[in-house]
Amino acid sequence: MTAVPASGGGSGGQLGLSRRYRDVAGRRVLFDNEGFLWSADDWSEDLAAALARESGLDELGEAHRRVLRFLREYYARNGRAPLNRQLAEGTGMRLLELEGLFPGGIKQGARRLAGLPNPKTCT
Amino acid sequence: MTERGVYLDHAATSFPKPREVLDRMVETYARLGVSPGRGGYDLSVEAAAFVDATRRQLADLFDAPDPDRVVFASNATDALNLAIQGMTRPGDHVVSTRLEHNSVLRPLTHLRASGRIEFDLVPFDGAGLVDPDDVARALRPGTRLVVVTHASQVLGTVQPVAEIAAVCAGRGVPLLVDAAQSAGHVPVLLGAWGLGAIAFTGHKALLGPSGIGGLALARDVDVASTRFGGTGVDSASLTHTPSFPHRLEAGTLNFLGVAGLSAGLAHLRAAGPSESHRRQIRMARRLRDGLEGLHAVVVHSPEPREGDVPVLSCSVTGMSPSDVGAVLDADYGVMVRTGLHCAPLVHRDLGTGAQGAVRFSLGLSTTEADVDRALEAMTAIAGSRGRHPGSR
Repeated sequence: MTAVPASGGGSGGQLGLSRRYRDVAGRRVLFDNEGFLWSADDWSEDLAAALARESGLDELGEAHRRVLRFLREYYARNGRAPLNRQLAEGTGMRLLELEGLFPGGIKQGARRLAGLPNPKTCT
Repeated sequence: MTERGVYLDHAATSFPKPREVLDRMVETYARLGVSPGRGGYDLSVEAAAFVDATRRQLADLFDAPDPDRVVFASNATDALNLAIQGMTRPGDHVVSTRLEHNSVLRPLTHLRASGRIEFDLVPFDGAGLVDPDDVARALRPGTRLVVVTHASQVLGTVQPVAEIAAVCAGRGVPLLVDAAQSAGHVPVLLGAWGLGAIAFTGHKALLGPSGIGGLALARDVDVASTRFGGTGVDSASLTHTPSFPHRLEAGTLNFLGVAGLSAGLAHLRAAGPSESHRRQIRMARRLRDGLEGLHAVVVHSPEPREGDVPVLSCSVTGMSPSDVGAVLDADYGVMVRTGLHCAPLVHRDLGTGAQGAVRFSLGLSTTEADVDRALEAMTAIAGSRGRHPGSR
């Protein structure tokens, strides 16, 4: 694990976060200090599966994959994460169900495993 | 219930604004929306008179002795910056509390980092209250300012600022009160309580639009100018106008905001703020009782007293506050604020410093049905806990 100074690069909107490299799924990948990918382009299905295993989810089932696929496709199309209601509509799940599907829930689970940027709101 | 669902984030901003407030604001702006007091033509003079009348409305609300010492700013944060920077000098000591919003903590931290001041923060107790004796103990010979939030935007508790003001007065130190959450809910009285200054915002319980706020100042309190520019007065001078309110107002005022704030104040007065507030407190108590009865919910706010503000914070065991907020929003149409609420030290002391909490805040438009909906949603969320062994 290698710490990297927060300044001097990285994708936009991530200022103030520290970064570190980790070896995951046979690759060296840059994460922020909350475990989110620094660059959404680093995502792969293998990476998502490895992160899922780290979080206690041995295998990504069809429902997990449907959520990750929707998040990835929405982000690719719109350049941002879906709104709460869009996430529910797009996955066909209530968010309470989706939250229970991933260890870590919606933000630390689904969104992080999908490789979307860390939503730096109030926390 | 709004068109988009149940809005319980009134501590962030009141929503929706009463239609009458919006209509009056736009009507005033359409009729008088020139630069107030800058021109000699009648319309500009009338606009300036409207601004001055709004200062009088605010002076009346805050029991402020001099309407010219009611100055406008963009919001409470802006007003607090004006006051904190303008009321301190190099080498001064400031006392504040761990209940504060970042609008106080960050200016103080900035001034300390730049070597200008030192400050100490007094704690709050298990009831969410600051003890005036703790403030007294924190005062030093070099203390030049005490800053205290009137109502906690995390806990809803209203602080004994009149007692704290008495402590400060005994030592000749002005008390600056952050009334962002309290103004419009409960009395905030500059003269009767002997406060030095009140910082307020217009867009919360005062029912105005965002972008307007200000300071109400006691006659014996000086606030140095920290920004400079056009005031429409003494234009030949290259020195900023020293008299109030111009001393702290540089540039064209947000007249649309002033018009909206004036309309909000009129609406509040007509609605009878005391009765409206009592109704909101009753609903907050019912919400708290319901939340406290849920096995997976930890309520951080004490039982709201009559003089508190209708704000409640809680956590759900094993679920991050941001996820609780997302589920409330998408599955139940209930809008709340999650996270640290710009009050990191409050959350640190509550043990919620990592992720914050879920905050429900009620307002003028909140109904009993809204509270029912929120409780129904929280019951379902609490009932889901423990389902996934890996859930946090």
